[in-house]
Amino acid sequence: MTATLDPVVAAALAERLLAMADDELILAHRNSEWTGHSPILEEDIAFSNIALDEMGHAAIWYGLREQLTNEDPDRLVFFRDAGDYRNVQMVELPKGDWAFSMLRQYLFDAAERVSLAHLTAGSYRPLAEAAAKIQTEEIYHLRHTGLWLRRLGLGTEESHGRMQAALDVLWPYARQLFVRLPGDEVLFDNGIFSDMALLQREWEDAVRPYLAECELTIPEEALPRRDIPRTEHTESLMALLAEMQAVARTDPMAKW
Amino acid sequence: MIDQWPRYEVFKQDQADGPIRNVGSVHAPDAELALMNARNVFARRPACYGLWVVPAGAILARTAEELAREEAAVSDGDGESVTYAVFSKRSQRQAMTYVDYVGQVVALSPEEALHAAVAAYNDPPGIVWWVCPEHLINRSDPADAAALGAATGKAFRMPNHYHTVFTMQKIRRGEEDGA
Repeated sequence: MTATLDPVVAAALAERLLAMADDELILAHRNSEWTGHSPILEEDIAFSNIALDEMGHAAIWYGLREQLTNEDPDRLVFFRDAGDYRNVQMVELPKGDWAFSMLRQYLFDAAERVSLAHLTAGSYRPLAEAAAKIQTEEIYHLRHTGLWLRRLGLGTEESHGRMQAALDVLWPYARQLFVRLPGDEVLFDNGIFSDMALLQREWEDAVRPYLAECELTIPEEALPRRDIPRTEHTESLMALLAEMQAVARTDPMAKW
Repeated sequence: MIDQWPRYEVFKQDQADGPIRNVGSVHAPDAELALMNARNVFARRPACYGLWVVPAGAILARTAEELAREEAAVSDGDGESVTYAVFSKRSQRQAMTYVDYVGQVVALSPEEALHAAVAAYNDPPGIVWWVCPEHLINRSDPADAAALGAATGKAFRMPNHYHTVFTMQKIRRGEEDGA
């Protein structure tokens, strides 16, 4: 299958897959920080499950990249420095309060749902098939975080205030999910992935009415911001990687 | 927070034609989230076709001995007839009070429903009986059955995926250096 890809297309796809995988991995790690600390046991299990799901999606995207580049996913994850990560800043921000983590997950899931729908229709079969497999889980994630958004948004004065504060911070960051990578045009021309502007429109069509339903106000004045490239990170990522990579780096030859 | 949220009893059906069995309970602020919590706590790894949640407070439970001691409930006649779901435990094999869904009765009160349940469904004999108003059951959508099923494709979630014990044994035998 990989042999049929033109090297330029393969390189562009490898970069897009790395961005997708890094987003899922870093978000999964942030979510896992709630394990043992969620507001209630049932939610602890649920959100840890979501973290595991995202970790699984990351493994799938890294695996597809490996088919193109022969790079070992474990090495990519544990021995890359922050500057080489391609995740959006939204997922590396500290977990914040429960409202922040729920809203971040919701905004991300809604974007993933849109992009998965496009990926399943793409021309690169391994990617289209993987995307189809992941879709069911994402529907559940979205349902989960969607329910929390409504309950916190329409809940008490405090829960609404926290949710609105989270949206004020996250909304401008969420836009970065749709910033084009240099190679994206090649993927678009080859029918592998859709145009980012279209994905963003569909995402906004989904999240704007829902946020309004939760009585949350989108901080429009926070826009426009410049398009932040995925090569730029906040210092939160360095702290996260230091913790995530510490054990693997202590003994690089250890067997797992 | 645990005692701020009501408890819901959870019933799980492993296959489309299997019994609907009480498996435990979850806390949740409402029935919708209770169903979601039930999925996360009781489905995903084991087989699961469908889930029901019922507010624990809406269930009236009695042992067969308690029911035998009670006088058959006399209805006062001005209540409304309600359909009750009936659950019964028919085997002592499981130590916990795991009851199965056995059917419905129509009654004017939960007490009356319990006695009607014993009259209608006591073959084989029930050891424990539960009734709850049918309309308070929140059921998973049959269309979700596929998503409730076990995540069998995820070996990385299982401890045995990592061969830790096997590798440690090899290291101890000196067949592999642990470094």
